[in-house]
Amino acid sequence: MRPENYQAVNHPPSHEFELNFGPNHPGIEGNFALKVKLQGDIVVEARTDAGYLHRGFEKLMEDRLWIQNIALVPRICVPDPVPMEVCYSLAVEDLANIEVPERAQWIRVLQLELSRIAAHLFFFGGHAATTGMYTPMYWGVADRDLLLDLFEELTGGRIYSIYNLPGGVRQDVPEGFLQRVSDTLDYIDGRLKDYDNLFFTNQIFVKRARGVGTINQQQALDWSVTGPNLRACGLEFDVRRDDPYLIYPQLDFDIPTEQAGDALARTLVRRLEMVESIRIIRQVIKALPDIKGPLRTPIPNPLAWRVPAGESYARVESSKGEVAYYVVSNGGEKPYRVHIRGPSAMHAVQVLEKLAVGSRLEDIAQTIFSLDACPPEVDR
Amino acid sequence: MSIAHSQNLNVLLQEIEGIQLTFHNPRRLRADIAAEALPALLALLRGRASYVHLSAISCVDWIDDNQFELVYHLWSYETSVLISAHIRVPRDPGIYLSVFDIYTPAAFFERDIHEMFGLYFEGSPDMSKFILTEWNGPPPMRKDFDSEKWVMETFSWQQYHPDWLQELEQQGGGIVSTPESIRAGNRPMENKS
Repeated sequence: MRPENYQAVNHPPSHEFELNFGPNHPGIEGNFALKVKLQGDIVVEARTDAGYLHRGFEKLMEDRLWIQNIALVPRICVPDPVPMEVCYSLAVEDLANIEVPERAQWIRVLQLELSRIAAHLFFFGGHAATTGMYTPMYWGVADRDLLLDLFEELTGGRIYSIYNLPGGVRQDVPEGFLQRVSDTLDYIDGRLKDYDNLFFTNQIFVKRARGVGTINQQQALDWSVTGPNLRACGLEFDVRRDDPYLIYPQLDFDIPTEQAGDALARTLVRRLEMVESIRIIRQVIKALPDIKGPLRTPIPNPLAWRVPAGESYARVESSKGEVAYYVVSNGGEKPYRVHIRGPSAMHAVQVLEKLAVGSRLEDIAQTIFSLDACPPEVDR
Repeated sequence: MSIAHSQNLNVLLQEIEGIQLTFHNPRRLRADIAAEALPALLALLRGRASYVHLSAISCVDWIDDNQFELVYHLWSYETSVLISAHIRVPRDPGIYLSVFDIYTPAAFFERDIHEMFGLYFEGSPDMSKFILTEWNGPPPMRKDFDSEKWVMETFSWQQYHPDWLQELEQQGGGIVSTPESIRAGNRPMENKS
């Protein structure tokens, strides 16, 4: 709410007091606010206040050509934009009945997994900062930068690549690119041990994160928790394996789980996922040179492309959980309706409101970061 | 999905009257039902068919039919099939039942749909404003809300004509066509004041 619209309310005398947590607060992720009611330093009620990042993407997309929307979708989640592009493309391809060439599918997987590692590096840096440890934050952001360099080389854009189109990808991998990916992975792989010493097994963090924001399996299922947060409760579910897309069935990877369901478990799951992503990318690097063929299936004139009428629900596993796009076409040049289901829409609103109650004020920031909530997915 | 699972699901779903099932692909099942039968279908799917995950509720405004289409996307971790239950409710008066008692996450989606489409869900725990806290206009995601028109009516245009642009225009350059003139079919630029 803007300050000029704020009206002071005379509350009855009470032992509780209200505190605005965010939108400008180092302990909150992005432009997002939480109104907490406190008794001492224990939270008795928490209400999320979203809308600071609302840009009306769903409405904008109804007014743009199918191909133009590719430039909009990555902006829905800044730390992990690639799954948004891929998911939208998958939905449109399903509607238009387009088969994606195999080489393009492998390149998409390469990009998706690089993005996952980058997002996790960003995530654990942020999470470390909420416990007062600032060094992992600088390390995480600095190492993420190496992956952004790779994105820049592959797509031309460091964050928003606008590289996946309905039908395939825009261009081929540059010469020597796979070697540079391999070198960067070697470096990150070597750094993981340092991260462990610095952060993941650091007792300052472990003692601080254990038991914070615990979700049990039943609650996780009831609240539609997805992704790493679900796997931290011991449920082995991953869209990549259970509702497979692209060439994931051909790849060999494990789905790491933890049992505790607290902030520590959620962080450790992501730590293990980085290893799995590195494993997947190594397989892609090995296989990609032998896969020949076109990079995209030609689509009709993109400026007058009429996608057949119908509806499609595409799902992709992002670093935060299940991303889904519901796309409806009435046979026109523009989508009739696009509904975006971001994983954080669940995590940052309903789950957070429930987990915050009963916790101490200083643990809220940790709960938010351990859920890896991404506010633009809520606002869209 | 295994054949046994598929048959079980088929038998189970036939308990709902007037249900139409279409497989879009082996992992996407579309179910069209009457709006009155939806709570029964969801209770059946959650209670007896392992559909514990409500992935999303989508709303589509079919303004030509004067109807809202609500789509409930449900996922089963055991059968690995996504069921999309489609119902239609009239746009006017735009009231439907909440399924919050069956699926907790529905509260978020229902609040969102109420805000964006103006469709009220009876029995939903919280229908207050969420994202558009300071918006008092019509629900913006409705097809009859033209955002461009609203912008034109609400905000005033200011003439931007600095010295450097005037110099350019004297040399024969400058802004050749404005976005408005392009939309209007490349009319010569109008001077708005």
